[in-house]
Amino acid sequence: MTATDAARKETFRQGQRAILPSLPGAFAWGMISGVAMVKGGLTVPWAIMMSLMVYAGSAQLAALPLIVAGAPLWVIVTTGLITNLRFVIYSAALRPYFADEPWRKRAALGFFMTDFTFTRFMRSAQDGSLPERNRDAWFAGVCANNWVTWQFSAMTGIIGASYVPTDWGLEFTGTLALVALVGPSLNARPAVVGAIVAAVVALLAFPLPFKLGLFCGALAGIAAATLADSWQQREPPRTPEGA
Amino acid sequence: MNEGVSGIALGVVIVGLALSTFVTRTSFLLAGARFRLGSRVEVALRYAPVCTLAAIIVPDILLHPPAATIDLSVLNPRLIGALAAGLWLCWSRNLIGCLGSGMAAYTLARLCL
Repeated sequence: MTATDAARKETFRQGQRAILPSLPGAFAWGMISGVAMVKGGLTVPWAIMMSLMVYAGSAQLAALPLIVAGAPLWVIVTTGLITNLRFVIYSAALRPYFADEPWRKRAALGFFMTDFTFTRFMRSAQDGSLPERNRDAWFAGVCANNWVTWQFSAMTGIIGASYVPTDWGLEFTGTLALVALVGPSLNARPAVVGAIVAAVVALLAFPLPFKLGLFCGALAGIAAATLADSWQQREPPRTPEGA
Repeated sequence: MNEGVSGIALGVVIVGLALSTFVTRTSFLLAGARFRLGSRVEVALRYAPVCTLAAIIVPDILLHPPAATIDLSVLNPRLIGALAAGLWLCWSRNLIGCLGSGMAAYTLARLCL
């Protein structure tokens, strides 16, 4: 092994250590996704396949009720896509750091990027603790530990849940997990406006076929949030009281 | 639902969802430097997940089992569970606590009301 290889390996391990604090969170999310998949009605092999291939808890949880309700393919996939749109922003934020890497590596790092690993990377990028060299190896270490933890916990949840009776109502954990996901995002007024509009429109439009009410709600909410955001920008900055 | 959802159609759905993850996560990492996110687009993208999830969660809680009427009553176990989980979130960001309190309230309401 050359000195460069050894250095890369060491940087990879540093990345693996850097993500350790958030692994309990990843474990909990993976477990819930796994349990909800099975309790929502997927068979164990399909739930495992879903977990390995999609590797996006929120999109899986969002798509699940639609799958169970027998919604058309395009509705399910579009819902997953909208839920995943935040990754487009993450992807744009990561690009400058990996611009010189070959495209295959960029694709791989992108696929393994999640909320947790992205947040961890950006924290180091901002406080200057990112390694000077071999950033890709460092991020790969971060992603590797996160992936192993998430998949292991998802499998545990999938297999464990198949032994739990359905009348325990465990499928409701999927909805609650989405509540936990949305809660912290409601810290800005435009997000609150968007969420309320989305919910009301989705309720009113619920009788529409193909779960189209969901899209009407999401689109109305996004429009409302964007408008609220631009109004907020235009508002003159308020002087804090007592200043 | 003992049978479970399965079959070729489900396989296609999974491939579609996997693509939706791959395409969004790699989008700008793979795109050339000439593509940039407009600020308007970025704002819309930022709020899209919250709005979509709200449009999924709220009907799921209030219209369950899928009925034409909105169940806003205090006897709706899913509403009680979601409120308990939401209250917990205001107090602490802990996921396990949020799920635990939500499931406890939901189960109690289901068994007692």
